[in-house]
Amino acid sequence: MAKMINNLLIKVYQHILIHIEDKAKFKKDYAEVVIARRKSRTEKRVNNLKDSLNREILAKALKYGIKNDLTETFISEKIKKIEERFYWKKRALKASFSRKKEKAPDKMILEKAFNEKSLVLDNELNQEINDLRAKYANTIDNQEQYSLEVKTLEIRTTEKIKEIERKSVDNLEDYQDKVDNKLKRLEKQACFFRDKLFSLADNANIKDYGLDEGVILKLDNLTMRFGGLVAVDHLSFDVKEGEIFGLIGPNGAGKTTVFNCITKFYKPSEGKMYFRKNKIDTVFLNEYKVHQIIKQGIVRTFQNVELIWELSVIDNLLVAAHTLFKTGFFGQLLHTRKLHQEELVLRKKAENVLLKMGLFAYKDSYPLGLPYGILKKIELARTLMVEPKMIILDEPAAGLNDAETLELAKIIKMIRDEEKVTIFLVEHDMGLVMDICDTVCAISFGKKLAIGTPKEIQENKLVRDAYLGEE
Amino acid sequence: MMKLKNILANFKKQFLSISKHPYFGFIVLGLVFLFALLLRNMGLLTISVINTFTLVMIYSVVAMGFSLLLGFGGLASLGTAGLVGLGSFIMGYMHGKAGISFTATIAIAIGVALVVGLLVGFISLRIEGMYLAIITLGLGEMLRQFFISYDTFTGGFTGTSLRSFQIFGKLFESGNDNYFNTVYIIIIICFILAMVATINIIKSPTGRALLSMKNSESAAQSMGISIIKYRLLAFVLSSVFAVLGGALYILHTKFSYPPQWNLSYSLDILAAVIVGGAQSIYGIIIGVFLIFGLKVSVLNYIPFFSNNPALIVIFNGVLIVLVVMFYPGGLIRLLQTSWYKLKIKLAKLKMKWRTYRYGKDDQ
Repeated sequence: MAKMINNLLIKVYQHILIHIEDKAKFKKDYAEVVIARRKSRTEKRVNNLKDSLNREILAKALKYGIKNDLTETFISEKIKKIEERFYWKKRALKASFSRKKEKAPDKMILEKAFNEKSLVLDNELNQEINDLRAKYANTIDNQEQYSLEVKTLEIRTTEKIKEIERKSVDNLEDYQDKVDNKLKRLEKQACFFRDKLFSLADNANIKDYGLDEGVILKLDNLTMRFGGLVAVDHLSFDVKEGEIFGLIGPNGAGKTTVFNCITKFYKPSEGKMYFRKNKIDTVFLNEYKVHQIIKQGIVRTFQNVELIWELSVIDNLLVAAHTLFKTGFFGQLLHTRKLHQEELVLRKKAENVLLKMGLFAYKDSYPLGLPYGILKKIELARTLMVEPKMIILDEPAAGLNDAETLELAKIIKMIRDEEKVTIFLVEHDMGLVMDICDTVCAISFGKKLAIGTPKEIQENKLVRDAYLGEE
Repeated sequence: MMKLKNILANFKKQFLSISKHPYFGFIVLGLVFLFALLLRNMGLLTISVINTFTLVMIYSVVAMGFSLLLGFGGLASLGTAGLVGLGSFIMGYMHGKAGISFTATIAIAIGVALVVGLLVGFISLRIEGMYLAIITLGLGEMLRQFFISYDTFTGGFTGTSLRSFQIFGKLFESGNDNYFNTVYIIIIICFILAMVATINIIKSPTGRALLSMKNSESAAQSMGISIIKYRLLAFVLSSVFAVLGGALYILHTKFSYPPQWNLSYSLDILAAVIVGGAQSIYGIIIGVFLIFGLKVSVLNYIPFFSNNPALIVIFNGVLIVLVVMFYPGGLIRLLQTSWYKLKIKLAKLKMKWRTYRYGKDDQ
């Protein structure tokens, strides 16, 4: 009885702990977004001030007839504008002349008129340019007054800029302090619950289900029967943390069935599956439903790409982040501020994932009609949204050409190294499997043939027999 | 002068940023309908136009709920009519006869809708596609038979009528302009609220979850979306919208009788959603106008149609066939594509004019 209460308490504390940790993480992420936005706003204001300073200096220079780079470029730009206007006028004249030329009875007169008109245009152009130059050719040339006024202007603007920057830094510091305080408070709460958990763990019978050190997934005598057909037959193996584990076998060996059992699309007929969720918690996968698997830290991809065709690529990633949204249904109905913040944070996260995968250009396009290699990559990107412990890839290289397969191998390795996840894959492309996998398990007709490093598997006689037939 | 220009530019910028907000269009639409009421009270519009608008608004509320079910959840239902009828009878009986207050009646209606939606949702868990449509059709017919036979509640074959209603302590008797205006304004408010709720659901994780459930159930499940939860939610939402639509209907027409809520009404709602475009709110409004509003406002005044009413049904049928064959995304898709094409054509025309005026570029 006491033990039962103890276990119940542990579960409750774990829930609270997870809740607090999620909250802290969300606060941190949102603060990052807000700080970036505020910084860009200050930058914009400073740039605006600098622009207006330049404009004022230019006005002063024109007023006192100073000749320097600023006024020169100003005047030359004006001249350029006038020239462009006349260029179009001339072109219109030319076009009308060439139109009339075909019908006109006397071409000489027409040509004469055309020449006259273009001459007039040229004269007008020269006149305007001269007028402009005369307008700004001020003779006062009061250098001292000019430099004095410019100096005061510059000083004023630099002071303003400094003020703005100081204020924004102060604001940011205040905000950061606030966030830090909040985070500290949350951390304190988390510490409290962690201590409680620790003290409870001593006299509780926490089930670690006998997983060896460093093992993240353990299959124990997994069996799946479809009527009389035994698709998976007493299969058991361990997947170590942080490795790339490959499952190979001839067609119909039951590889995808194993995946479907782990992700609970099928209910295994017999056998047990354990997964190490985190350092203290190991879960018994048989107890969970399909949609709860992702919360334990396992995400999968599919053999034929299963994307949401009616949503854009970034929305597809947000679908994957479904479990990270904490706002309830009524919050969503009213579009509360919290939902808005969550959406901002997760959208930013999705953009980062897309950047990492080199898919940022496809952000707003719809998956329908994109090349197959890109679709596969999008599916892979989708798994990264929830920061999983283990990614299950069902034939990631199927339908890809050699170059794309090489790139995929690179990406898979990168994901493993950067995100520190375990990757468990089924693949027919032996080149890919032997290249990237740390451990390979070969099965045939649902039974395990061999398990070991790629080299050992290549030299194994049973595996050869299964693939090539017995000698 | 410069200052005025700056202020105008600023105003334009702000207006543009406001007009991008999704609610902006809804509020404008509501104001347009309100303006129509003003015109009618000034004697510039006939009452039939206002009646058309009212019907379009009420049925749009029902159709929006249905689109959440069909366009987003991918679930077919033919029992809408029963739920709309249920809403109207609850309003007629609870408020009109039993004397329960208006808000309490609405709350009861929503509660009943919740129960019925959950019931249908649970049935839907085991059944898919066409069979689901048949089951819901059966439920709708059951509700209709229930209305006909249980006459203390519905008034039997002769139906229920609502002569007056009381809101915030004020009594409104039917038959005068005051009643008419109040009901019209209530309907506009409900219409806007329904649109806002729909867009909020569509643009939130729930909307994405519903769409992913429609596209690929296995992907949805592996992403942590519980099929049971979202199927139930889709049915509950659609039935709440339908029941509210029914309550508004009896406020407007003051009358509801059981045989009216038959299969053909459900099919009309389905047709409206499909013709307009199942995933766009404006598309739904267009669809409802074509299926329900056109009959009342235009076709009844054309002798060819008013002499043989069966032709109106044929007209609707032809419309559905044409839209489904050529524009599976609904008429809203047609409008969008034609707007896009028009833009391209205008750009080309501009280019042509440029070459005519200024000659070719390489000269």
